[in-house]
Amino acid sequence: MSELLLNVCDVTKTFSEVTALQNVDVAFHSGEVVGLVGGNGAGKTTLLRLLCGLYRPTTGKVQGTIGGDAVDIHTMRENVGVVPEATGLYARLTAWENIRYHSRLNGVDDEMAWTRTERFAKLLNFEQDLHRSTRGFSRGMRQKTALLRALSHGPKILLLDEPTGGLDVTSARMVRKLVRKLGDEGGTVIYSTHNLAEAEQVCDRIVIIHNGTIRANGTPKSLLENSNTNNLEEAYVALTEDEARIQPPDEEGKIAGAWRRLLTRRSS
Amino acid sequence: MGRIHLSRVFIVARKELIDFVRDWRTVLAMVLVPLMIFPAIFIALPLFLQGEAAELSEYELHIEVQGDLSENLSSYLEMENLNVMQVNLSQHESLSEPGDDVYRLNSDSTPEVIHAILRLERVDSNASESWNYAILSDSTDQLSWEARTRTLNAVLTWEADVINATLADNNLTREEVFDPIHWDGDQGKADVASGGEVAAMGLAMFIPILVAMWTATAAIQPSIDLTAGERERGTMEALLCTPTARSELLFGKWLAVATVACVSVIGQMVGLLFAINFLTPGALDAPTISTSGIILLMLSVILFAVFVVAIELAVAVRAHSVREAGSILGPMVLVFIGPTLFAQFVNLEGIEAWWFVLPVFNITLAMREALMGIFDPMHIFLWISTSLTYAIGAIWWASKQFNREDLVESLS
Repeated sequence: MSELLLNVCDVTKTFSEVTALQNVDVAFHSGEVVGLVGGNGAGKTTLLRLLCGLYRPTTGKVQGTIGGDAVDIHTMRENVGVVPEATGLYARLTAWENIRYHSRLNGVDDEMAWTRTERFAKLLNFEQDLHRSTRGFSRGMRQKTALLRALSHGPKILLLDEPTGGLDVTSARMVRKLVRKLGDEGGTVIYSTHNLAEAEQVCDRIVIIHNGTIRANGTPKSLLENSNTNNLEEAYVALTEDEARIQPPDEEGKIAGAWRRLLTRRSS
Repeated sequence: MGRIHLSRVFIVARKELIDFVRDWRTVLAMVLVPLMIFPAIFIALPLFLQGEAAELSEYELHIEVQGDLSENLSSYLEMENLNVMQVNLSQHESLSEPGDDVYRLNSDSTPEVIHAILRLERVDSNASESWNYAILSDSTDQLSWEARTRTLNAVLTWEADVINATLADNNLTREEVFDPIHWDGDQGKADVASGGEVAAMGLAMFIPILVAMWTATAAIQPSIDLTAGERERGTMEALLCTPTARSELLFGKWLAVATVACVSVIGQMVGLLFAINFLTPGALDAPTISTSGIILLMLSVILFAVFVVAIELAVAVRAHSVREAGSILGPMVLVFIGPTLFAQFVNLEGIEAWWFVLPVFNITLAMREALMGIFDPMHIFLWISTSLTYAIGAIWWASKQFNREDLVESLS
């Protein structure tokens, strides 16, 4: 049995009056590539942010496991690599400097980080661009840099938020290949995506999230069996029949709200 | 706040400083502008004005003298590079009443160019001679105003001659009449304060304002860039995913902002001292400040920087965008500069102890006392303890803001 790495126990996360996730139970084990699949606003990013400790659960618990012992999620940070949707690169630094900054914060020496970066950069055909400033990088190059940054400290778990979103076909294929390779080498990848076909191709297990709740959790094969459908798309539609919730407007203070309403012309 | 790894604080600070230095606009705004601002104001601007004045003095100007013109005055007017046309004085209510001459001075259509009109009228008196005069000119016309200035110079020189002649008629000298009680010797030598002490007192007038103004203003841009800017660019989320504690991030960013602010303040001080030294070469001694004075000065600057930068970082974190942060922090500078300006005018002699408890005031007064060599243990205890409290309070507030969950939200 593979080792339990992250465990989400009955977690509910609310933002003011909005419930982003409700009573979510899901566990992640070593050596599996898990796809979090759901539409916009389903709660995928919220779950990823809970898994890396950026959000605190409103109720329930998110725990990590090191050597069989349950630990606080913050203690797990050194074992986690994250690629947020926005990639978050510093434009005045080179790709390598961006990577090195994060690896230093993760307590990894430059030589080791470089060795790892070089290895993965070859797989992504990115070695030539490591010493270029990230200003002017394409979406694909930014995504590759963010991936290398997340991998530079040798994390046990990789969290990817829409890693192929906005990428061209070749770049997306490279990213998928890298993720599959990491999974085959025993790494754990948690991968959020809109794309079912991609999840089927890359992931060992798929977790379907809809309106903040988990609708299905299992291998692609078991999802088909449980939903009595022939393909994953039909299974997804069957599991998410209810309408997606409407996103609430951004929160604003009372004064700010009153001021905005005062100055907003009503359309006839 | 949890345990803080200093190595991570330095990694964050180092990266932020590299980021600053690579942006030439930031370097220009934070280092070169403060360095050049006082030399530009005190040296370049006067030189420029001198050049402009010299250019104006090259012009040959025309004036009309209405009334009798003495030989002396005529020669003085000539020395001022004025072309004189003499006519008779017509009747006016007073010499300053322009009458029809207003059209002649203001008109571009008249063939004769007259830049100013000098009216002279001899009057009876006991002096060797006595005159009434008025100079008609147009203050909105540069050449007319220049003609007025030159004419006035000539008239005043002539007046001095008339005074001297009157005094001579009565066997008196100018000094006997106008300076009957006079200082004997060099006034500067009578001041028992050393040149260094005088220089230190002079610095006490500038340093607190400079420190307050430049710490507050120099910290704005980096504070915004490192907080609201990072959120807007989406870099904050990736940074918060590392094992770095938020307090380590806060201190790293604080260190970077404080370093930039300090470089700016030092740059401005160097620029100021250079400008003063350039304007008064050899006249100023090096300021005499005791070691304890320097230590207290440094301590006050550091505590002030901790306080100001922490507050600005916290406010910038609360802002939803770079624009919002800028529009709040810009006017907020006045909160720091206002009390500093006010505190400059507080008498240090017999000052009440409570002044050393008020935020910002206490630091300004502490700097003044340190520079002027005043060491009152009660004052020192009060400003150190209260400043420390304010600084810790500001850091606590900033760290509370840094721990907000929505800090992670990318606003891009």
